[in-house]
Amino acid sequence: MRGVFTAAGRTADDPLHEPALAVHVEDLTVSYQGKPVLWDIDINIPPGVMAAIVGPNGAGKSTLIKAILGLVPPTAGHVTISGRPYKRQRRKVGYVPQRSSVDWDFPTTALDVVMMGRYGHLGWFRHPGRHERARALAALDEVRMRDFADRQISQLSGGQQQRVFLARALVQEADVYFLDEPMAGVDATTERTIVGLLQMLRDRGKTVIVVHHDLQTVQDYFDWIVILNVRVIAQGPVGTAYTLENLHRAYGGQISLIDRGPLAGPRGPEAPLDAAGDRHP
Amino acid sequence: MSALLDFLGDYTIQNVLLGAILLGVVSGVLGSFAVLRQQSLLGDTLSHAALPGICLGFLIAGARELPAILGGALVTAMLAALAMLVLTRSSRLKTDAGLGIALSIFFAFGVVLLTYIQGTAGASQGGLDSFLFGQAAAILRSDLYVMAAIAALALALVLALWKEFKLVAFDPGFAATLGLPVLVLETVLTVTIAFAVVIGLQMVGVVLMASMVIAPAVAARQWVRRLETMVVLAALFGVVSGVVGALISAAGRNLATGPLIILAATVLVIVSMLLAPERGILWDALRRRRQERRLEADRVLATVYDLASHHRDRRYAAEESMIDAYHGMATRPALSRLSKRGLVQPSRHMPEEGRHWVLTDAGLDEARRRHPDGQGLGQGASSD
Repeated sequence: MRGVFTAAGRTADDPLHEPALAVHVEDLTVSYQGKPVLWDIDINIPPGVMAAIVGPNGAGKSTLIKAILGLVPPTAGHVTISGRPYKRQRRKVGYVPQRSSVDWDFPTTALDVVMMGRYGHLGWFRHPGRHERARALAALDEVRMRDFADRQISQLSGGQQQRVFLARALVQEADVYFLDEPMAGVDATTERTIVGLLQMLRDRGKTVIVVHHDLQTVQDYFDWIVILNVRVIAQGPVGTAYTLENLHRAYGGQISLIDRGPLAGPRGPEAPLDAAGDRHP
Repeated sequence: MSALLDFLGDYTIQNVLLGAILLGVVSGVLGSFAVLRQQSLLGDTLSHAALPGICLGFLIAGARELPAILGGALVTAMLAALAMLVLTRSSRLKTDAGLGIALSIFFAFGVVLLTYIQGTAGASQGGLDSFLFGQAAAILRSDLYVMAAIAALALALVLALWKEFKLVAFDPGFAATLGLPVLVLETVLTVTIAFAVVIGLQMVGVVLMASMVIAPAVAARQWVRRLETMVVLAALFGVVSGVVGALISAAGRNLATGPLIILAATVLVIVSMLLAPERGILWDALRRRRQERRLEADRVLATVYDLASHHRDRRYAAEESMIDAYHGMATRPALSRLSKRGLVQPSRHMPEEGRHWVLTDAGLDEARRRHPDGQGLGQGASSD
């Protein structure tokens, strides 16, 4: 019964497509009511990096994650995770949606929400048991929320709710994690906890992909970057792709807020527009 | 006592009670999911859209055959849900508009059919209009078997798909990334809610059935912390309102059953909204009031402390009218509460000049704790 939510079947003799990449997106286009929101996106993210997706408001950052995860229907394009189509790899993918995407007044406890991360492994008709409970408690421990396990989720602060979501992703035991603005509107302690955990996941060889809004912290937190504005403006290691010129091309005139990073330091070498061949060192 | 036993032994009353229990359990359980998915209006559309199905079932069977009637009701209710889905997915129409449109079209069609039947079938139309507001006393034992079968099916579905329904209700996006067929599950849930609606048609009627889906769930939500308990409590509330309403209707002078059941459920909603711990409006107001008083008392304590600091005398007796003037209001209630907490005490200093208040040692410590940077008074409350 394990994992029956995931399409089962042929794996061994399938040819792998770009197996060396954790995430490979090809020609992805998403339109909403006739207007392209994402246009001809090609993205390659190697395994074991912590990648930021940045871009101005309306650049399609969240839509990109949702399209990769099949939550919004793409007009064109396809996605592979570690060489196989995403639909066959669901169990290798963890997801932290935007906190505002659910009703936190839902009658349930923090522990219960975290256990939902195990549902994919449980399969149909099986209910979570002692094993799932132990996993969920351990994950709550990792996000420093163990004491809040039995707390009603509506009584948690925004940062605590975000940590519960992160714990739910941890128990998914995935190889590739997608997080949609996990640091939006959380306190400094929570941000440190989240970043520490994500970096620990990366150090364990997981791939972590984060929609991020704060350009100030990109260089501190991330080692890989995708700069987006409907199209991919630049992608690659932060050291080469995170340049002032690339940011200008993505943000236009809104860039004056940045007072460190590319503005302060000497410029790195320009990243090519299509960094498809790039590999993390 | 024997009158009560006679009453409960009555065949009609027994049927009414069993029907009310079936209805209450199913609508409470499924209503919880409808309310949590913020689809309360769905119940309204489903029940109104059952009317044309009731009429068509009657026309096809040629008589008041419950299986045909409920089958017809289920079909048109589900068609309405489908119409709503198509409307909202293929246009920019919002869900509530789609639900409203489906409701009116299907209900209008139902009323036309109902008047047509009443016009042609004459006296033999079998009291189809009792489906508008429900008629508990008309329930037969054979009707109960149909209702019980539908209820068992609906509850079995919820039990089997419990964790899937829960996840789809809480976070459908995450459910989809796990590979759950969210659209299929949402459809199954909608169909199951249609089952609940159909069960209530005879007792509550199409017009008010939506409240039977919504009210017990809303009332239960007030008291619980978990979906599991919410569903059980909603079922209980559903049973209580169903039984109370149906009994009054059956025992009384032919009062309409549906409205009575809904009124009973409404009482539960109002009580729950007001009194439930944590979420009740009354407790909320009390908590807020207590907090305001606490803040007020803290500010008054700070004033007494400031006055004592200015006079470099921790035993300084502050005149109450002076504290009043500082706060622009009567501070006697706040001072009395502080006095009860042992933080200030009335002073016998110049009784003819009006009441005066002095900080106690505990009050001094408390004020210092709150204003650690306060100047003027040395450390050690009891050193003088």
